Amino acid sequence: MLSWLDANALTMINGVALAAVLFLIAVGLSLIFGTMNVLNLAHGAVSLTGAYIGVALLDGSATMPNFIVAVLAAAAVGLVIGGVLAVMTSSVKDHLRQALLTLGVALIAGDVLREIFGADVESVPAPAGLDGAVSILGRQYPLYRLSIIAVSAVIAILLYLVLERTRVGAMVRATVADRAMVEAIGIRTNLVLGGVFGVGAALASIGGLLAAPILGAQPGLDDTVLLLGLVVVVVGGLGSLKGALVGALLVGQLQTLGVAMLSEYASFLLFGAMALVLLTRPRGLLPAKTGAH
Amino acid sequence: MSALPAGRGARRTRGLAPTALAAASLLMLAACGGGSLSEGGGGGEGDDSGPVKIGLALPLSGVYSSLGEDMEQGFQLYLDENEDQLGGRDIEIISADEGETPQTGVPATTKLVTQDQVSAVVGIVNSATALGLKDTFVQSEVPLIIANAGADDLTTPPSPYIWRTSFTNGQVGEALGAAVAEELGGDPIYLMAADYAAGHESVDGFRESFTAAGGKIAGEAFTPFGTTSDWQPYLNKVRSSGAKAVYVFYAGAEAVNFVKQYDAFGLGDNIQLYGAGFLTEGGALDAQGKSALGVRTSLHYSNLLDSERNAQFVEAYEAAYNEPPTVYAVQAYDAAAVLDQAIESAESTDGAGLAEALEGVGEIDSPRGTWSFDENHNPDQPYYQREVQEVDGVLGNAVLGELEQ
Repeated sequence: MLSWLDANALTMINGVALAAVLFLIAVGLSLIFGTMNVLNLAHGAVSLTGAYIGVALLDGSATMPNFIVAVLAAAAVGLVIGGVLAVMTSSVKDHLRQALLTLGVALIAGDVLREIFGADVESVPAPAGLDGAVSILGRQYPLYRLSIIAVSAVIAILLYLVLERTRVGAMVRATVADRAMVEAIGIRTNLVLGGVFGVGAALASIGGLLAAPILGAQPGLDDTVLLLGLVVVVVGGLGSLKGALVGALLVGQLQTLGVAMLSEYASFLLFGAMALVLLTRPRGLLPAKTGAH
Repeated sequence: MSALPAGRGARRTRGLAPTALAAASLLMLAACGGGSLSEGGGGGEGDDSGPVKIGLALPLSGVYSSLGEDMEQGFQLYLDENEDQLGGRDIEIISADEGETPQTGVPATTKLVTQDQVSAVVGIVNSATALGLKDTFVQSEVPLIIANAGADDLTTPPSPYIWRTSFTNGQVGEALGAAVAEELGGDPIYLMAADYAAGHESVDGFRESFTAAGGKIAGEAFTPFGTTSDWQPYLNKVRSSGAKAVYVFYAGAEAVNFVKQYDAFGLGDNIQLYGAGFLTEGGALDAQGKSALGVRTSLHYSNLLDSERNAQFVEAYEAAYNEPPTVYAVQAYDAAAVLDQAIESAESTDGAGLAEALEGVGEIDSPRGTWSFDENHNPDQPYYQREVQEVDGVLGNAVLGELEQ
């Protein structure tokens, strides 16, 4: 047992790091669905936009202030894109039409990004100071991946506190539960929902940028990211913060520990697990209790 | 018929009108087609005055579009150097977008043969697309000069209409095996590749010559193609296996992420990384940056190859396109050189005539070194061991030496 732990501890830590990236990307997708009831298939494209903002602003090497500026820029761009998407989807109630609309936006965005940045894979440097490695159990592990875990944890806690403990969070939850009543007490629910869409997209954009030093940026990454995000929210349960967290942790371990132990089945692990969850818990492991549906 | 109500009869006539029109235009098309057929004979124009039509099927969109761009530039450079003529004849280039997959590549390229009636097609990056096109070219008796796709099956068994100026996946790996076995001196190696045909062929080729030269293998892993972005679990296994070196086949985005992670997890310091040259070629190397330093690969070209012919080529290429040439550019450049020789000696420049002339093509004086076609229509060419080094402040694949075959 001890020797097994020794051999796989690093892989498990790495699974948590991967989960941290997945959580940042998937939580926006889940929030937007949970509050606005919109399945945003442009989420991957927003995330790739974030990665390309890193490519554009950080050339070759990045100092910490530069990297933070890039993160803020990614957040701002994500917020704007989210707002635009909220307006576009506000009049479309049918899920299929929403999917078609956002998929169309995703395709156009993907082609525009390719036109601007080219088809070659681009890399984004980790910020100076975090680009080194630390020794864990006698093996080298990149420091940047550990920092991602910390950043992601902070964002998760902030999100939880804002949603559960603040006035704004109460407004969001109330809008989801009974929109007409919230309107009646004088709150413009469109603004609330647009804001949530914006924050969700900003999180995707930040997630894309933070993942870029690990995954790079290239055409096609948007689809990969969207697919992983969808798997995370389907496994975790659509619309819930905890669900996204649990889903991300599970998918993270599947992609690392699962692959390490059952490498012959690496291609099937992810979707095999998803099928299993859908068979036994069709609404996901931790579905939203107060979802709009 | 006469019992039909008048109304239905009238509708029938209205319905027939477009059909009749379509039939008439079909007949007209057939008449035109017949005209050109009587001039040319099967596939392509055979008269000796007008320009020779050559199809260029390259990925202009999708993940391979940077390769397509390099190849287009290489082909164009040869034309520019020869006053837009091949074999003393004017050339008309008809381009098609191969795209990413056979779903786009096969119809686009088939159109070049059936509709545009080109005399030969140059290009094709994706092996699956090339395999899907093989029968079309053989049956239409039009030569396909493959300028990248490396699947071993494309040229076995050989066809008079399928030629290749690039490489086979097996050859690239095989060329390196014996040299690595010697360098390791009995230490074991770990083999790893993307889990698709090219990855398996490359590793098979390497394993064959490596074990034949007395090398030992510590383990193997094939990673899911296109969905693997994190190699930590595999790299962990490499460490546990006690291997002193790793041989891999990855290309494009996977090559970039793999090499960066290999370095980030600290394997680069004491486990030498070997690979097929696509690992560190062109745009991939730019994105890998310093993490690729010291990686050793085998390939049939490097822009740092020290020869007079290559120096002249690199200078012309950089002057024209303001970037160093890649292996993909050279493959297309050489395809133009092959056509140059074939058209020069061809009795007729239709598909069948060119295919016959291709049999007589001799040595190609290429930037990669002199090569000629082998009996399977693959290039019989030198392979080089290269190492990523910083040369004059720029990362490049320095040539360590020619690999014995």
